[in-house]
Amino acid sequence: MMHSSARTPSAGRLRRRSAPYLMALGLAALAFVLIWLGSAPLVYLVTIIMIWAIATTGLDLVFSVTGILVLGHGALLAAGAYAFAILTMDFGMAGLPALLLACVAGALLGALMGAPSLRLSGLHMALATLAVSQIFFVLITVKLRGITGGTDGLPGVPRPELPLVDIYDDRIFGVFVVLMFLLALVVYARLRESPFGQILKGIRQNEMRVRQLGADVRLYKLASFAVSGAFAGLAGALLSGQSYIVGPEIATWMVSGELVIMIVLGGRGVFIGPVVGVAIFMLLKEVVSHHTPYWGGILGIVFILITLFMPGGLTGLFGGLFRRPTKARPAGEGRAAS
Amino acid sequence: MSHDLVCRGVNVRFGQFHALRDINVSFQPNRVTALIGPNGAGKTTLMNVLSGLQKHSGQVLLGDQDISGLRPDRRAGLGISRSFQIVAVFPDMTVFENMRLALQPNALAWSMPWRSIHGYRDLAADAAARLETFGLHDVADRPAAELSHGQQKLLELALSLASDPKVLLLDEPLAGVGHGDAKTFVQTLGRISEGRTTVLVEHNMDVVLNVADHIIVLADGSLFAQGTPAEIRADRKVRDVFLGQSA
Repeated sequence: MMHSSARTPSAGRLRRRSAPYLMALGLAALAFVLIWLGSAPLVYLVTIIMIWAIATTGLDLVFSVTGILVLGHGALLAAGAYAFAILTMDFGMAGLPALLLACVAGALLGALMGAPSLRLSGLHMALATLAVSQIFFVLITVKLRGITGGTDGLPGVPRPELPLVDIYDDRIFGVFVVLMFLLALVVYARLRESPFGQILKGIRQNEMRVRQLGADVRLYKLASFAVSGAFAGLAGALLSGQSYIVGPEIATWMVSGELVIMIVLGGRGVFIGPVVGVAIFMLLKEVVSHHTPYWGGILGIVFILITLFMPGGLTGLFGGLFRRPTKARPAGEGRAAS
Repeated sequence: MSHDLVCRGVNVRFGQFHALRDINVSFQPNRVTALIGPNGAGKTTLMNVLSGLQKHSGQVLLGDQDISGLRPDRRAGLGISRSFQIVAVFPDMTVFENMRLALQPNALAWSMPWRSIHGYRDLAADAAARLETFGLHDVADRPAAELSHGQQKLLELALSLASDPKVLLLDEPLAGVGHGDAKTFVQTLGRISEGRTTVLVEHNMDVVLNVADHIIVLADGSLFAQGTPAEIRADRKVRDVFLGQSA
């Protein structure tokens, strides 16, 4: 009986439930091996992919689970990056607490960015997130120049120092990033499965119904933005530590757009879609940009082809292996009864 | 537990148009009260008055409490639930996940975000039991989008009942439902009306005469007649004006 299997999970169901964790562990293990044994350029590439994957995974919570298009996510990375740089350099804070506060900074700006969703939806909401990110960009390049270094940014950002190991060894830093990546994926898998994640999924599919069921939709939306911002804050801080510099470029709309493109490339609503998307994006960028300066055009063509012919993204090709992808369906579209 | 729903001198005007005229009716617990009448008689307007979507003069009482001024969400909090004509389920979730999600806001006001939903055994058991009541347990693991229209309407009804409302307002629950599914629906409706006040707007007269304990006939915004199905069926006045045309 199917209904009783809901109470006592079958082996298949258990396997499906543990699949995200196994995939996260597998990806982290792969990254670890590549970083430990790879050449310096490979270490760099894998580290960068992990960091961006933390950001896209966080964005996925709002974009794919809650179903809100965000075009200003780059600003949340910047919030984390600047918070980390300023706290460590100006206030002499230790790396790990600064990393934590970078998450908080990302979460706060995330909640602020999510606030218009209490009133707006769809494309209007997307443009509102873009507007918030543009305001933040102006703030860090012009208004707060004294603290942020304006368009020059802040050079000399340290890495989160750890006892016993030399974090300035790129291999060690890479391993640290792998651990953060694993943590982010596990938290994300957990959130998707939690009662909180269920409500977010419900909001994407039929917001009106969730409201009727008695859940405060506004709070859930804000919370999903805040969590997403915390992921972005962590990624931003790691990024600035990786390159020893933070600049306003990551707050631009181009970066925000790239983050969305990465998720669509990888597969929207599929657990490891955001990670696969980042990997494809970065590989294309690294490989193709060696041969032609017009790599952006080639990426654009790939992106168009994928949205046209592979709506589930690259992971959607292996649909049976992963969770079924999110169907692009506007909320509330049922079979009309009238 | 007195949760009868009473209208006292309810009037609704849309400009010059008098949509409801001095309606004095009461909906009793433990029975299904059907609202019938020709198109434009004011059935949906009265449903809107009851659920708080329509401003009106006069009073609406739930038990001893005057709820006339309360917004729809506040009325929902007092136990008034309404199902709509349009199907509002979660299409990408399985039927089981739909049911579990509907139960969640009441069962888990606060939850630890890191605890998996699968850990809440009571919630899952409750959802499974409710699906069985609605005859949906066989399709529990299928996405709601794949169900027949009739099954979706059943699921919709199950979701509306998730909060265990005292008052259930059903606006044309059978619209677009095929004949076979309608039979299941009628049986289900009889069962779920126990212990609550049910108000039903439905065009299918066979269904109304089958499930209703009490029938209120509206015409031109006024109370035209009311009584048991047998009384309504025997009422020559009603038969001439209404039943004859529509049956």
